[in-house]
Parts: sequence; C-alpha cells; structure tokens
Amino acid sequence: MTKKAKDRDELHDALDSDCLEAFDHVYAYINNELKDEEAIKQLEHHLRHCKSCFSRAQMERKINERLKKTSKPKVPKTLRKRVKNLIDNY
Amino acid sequence: MVNVNDKSQRVVKDWFSQCIEESMGSLYAMAVRLTKNDADAEDLVAEAVSKAWSSIDTLKDKNRFRPWIFCIQRNIFIDHYRKSTKRTASMNYTDDCEKFAESEIASLLIEQPDEFLYWWANPEKEFVNNLLGEEILQAVERLPEAFRETVILVNLEGFSYDEAAEIQGVSPGTVRSRMNRGRTLLQRLLWQQATEAGLLPNKNVMEPGT
Repeated sequence: MTKKAKDRDELHDALDSDCLEAFDHVYAYINNELKDEEAIKQLEHHLRHCKSCFSRAQMERKINERLKKTSKPKVPKTLRKRVKNLIDNY
Repeated sequence: MVNVNDKSQRVVKDWFSQCIEESMGSLYAMAVRLTKNDADAEDLVAEAVSKAWSSIDTLKDKNRFRPWIFCIQRNIFIDHYRKSTKRTASMNYTDDCEKFAESEIASLLIEQPDEFLYWWANPEKEFVNNLLGEEILQAVERLPEAFRETVILVNLEGFSYDEAAEIQGVSPGTVRSRMNRGRTLLQRLLWQQATEAGLLPNKNVMEPGT
C-alpha cells in the first residue's frame, strides 16, 4: 500500500471513528504537509460539519500566523564582522 | 546556478557567503534559543559557519543549504554546548516526551471544553487576537524540548516536515507526531494562560455562541 493510500485509509477511518483521529491530520493540513488531495477533501468536509474541529483548526491557523510574525533577535554587528572575516580568510 | 562541486573556489565562496548572509538571522535566533546566552550563541554560529565551509563537499543539494547548516549547528550545540547550558524543567527531553503519551492527548482533547475553542474562534472575543506573538512564543518555550524544537523549526523558521526531520535526525513521521503533540500541548498552555489571566469566561456562565 502506498503512503498516500495509507494516509487516505487512515483519514477515512478517522472520520468514520471520531474527531480525535481526524484532528491528527489537521496540523499537517494547516502546515501544508497533507498532500493527498482526497485526504484534504475529506478533512475539509469534516471541518465544514464539525464545529469543534473547525474552531480548533481556526485557532491553530491563527497561532501559525502569530508565530510567523514573531520578531527574531537582531544579529550583533560583532557576529556579522566575525563571520565576514572567517569567510574572507577561507 | 552554482554547482558547489564544479565551480571555482571563488564562485563557491561567493555563493557560500550569500547563503550565510540569508541564513544568519535564523541561525542566530536558533542559537540564542539553544544556548540561552548571547555570547555562546555568537560562538555557536561562528563554529557552524566554519564547520559548514570545511564540510561543504557533504552538501549534495544546494537547495538544501539551510536545513543542512541548521543540522550542523544543532550537532555542534549537542556535542559542545548542551552540557553547560542552563537546563529548565521544560527541557527534560526524554521524561517529558514519554510522559506525554497519546492517551494524554486524548484526555486533553476530551477535557478541554469546546466553549474554549468557540470562544477563541469568535472574532469579537477571540483570545488569540489579544495575544502577541511573543506571548505565544513564551508558551512555546515551555514545551518539552523535542516538541519545542519541531514547532520552532516548522512554524517559526518555515521548514518543511522533511527538512525538520533532516535537521533533527529523525523520520518525517516523527516530526509529524511531535508537531501534533507539541501543538496540542501548546493549546493546553494557552488555555491555562487565558484562565490565569482572567481572560477566559467561566464556562458555566458562558452562553453558546458567545
């Protein structure tokens, strides 16, 4: 069985069983890591019909957006100079 | 397009310099998170750059430069810095990960009231809109180390599951599992944070759809 088929079967079982299993795919979905179109279709169908999973997915999307916007510490000038010197001397 | 193996030393050096410049901000941010110390973070990045240059022949795909050098930096940290880094309770890697079994995720999802999710999703009262990224990041910092690292690599640094797996030396399936567990635990921490801050209404008095 291919990985995609396995993913699809797993998702199908999950949607038939309970939200917990379906939610197992939601993180891959919101991180653009769920590649199987059929799996995506089934998950989106579930999200349209399950208020709890839909709300959780919305929350996770918002957390993703916030995390992406988090500022990084500024690189010290001393480090930039040090690395430049390292590379210049190679 | 630069081929690392075939072009002249000068071209490779210019290409390497450009790649380092593009990755510097992320490498330093990750180094600060790992070492918890600005001076050690600078040393770690400099060592990673040196190691990367000396082992440039091991980079098989130039498009994988970023995960490749992140992996180098991570390995140097584990070999030379980890023992001296101040460890927090949340960094108890193995114990915490083993404790946080699948069954606990299930119980968390069951015990967490839907009202919390609905309330969060409500655009007029959503908790997350009042939270800054830095505050969510504080909750991320409280995650067990393996989960935290996965969340940071994927959600802050934008690595794919495959790339995060390469950096952490695990399978993509493990990254997927760590992501699911880490983000589920993050929800619990944010839930606690909201409750402690008095931002979350008592579910007993909350009306459906509010």
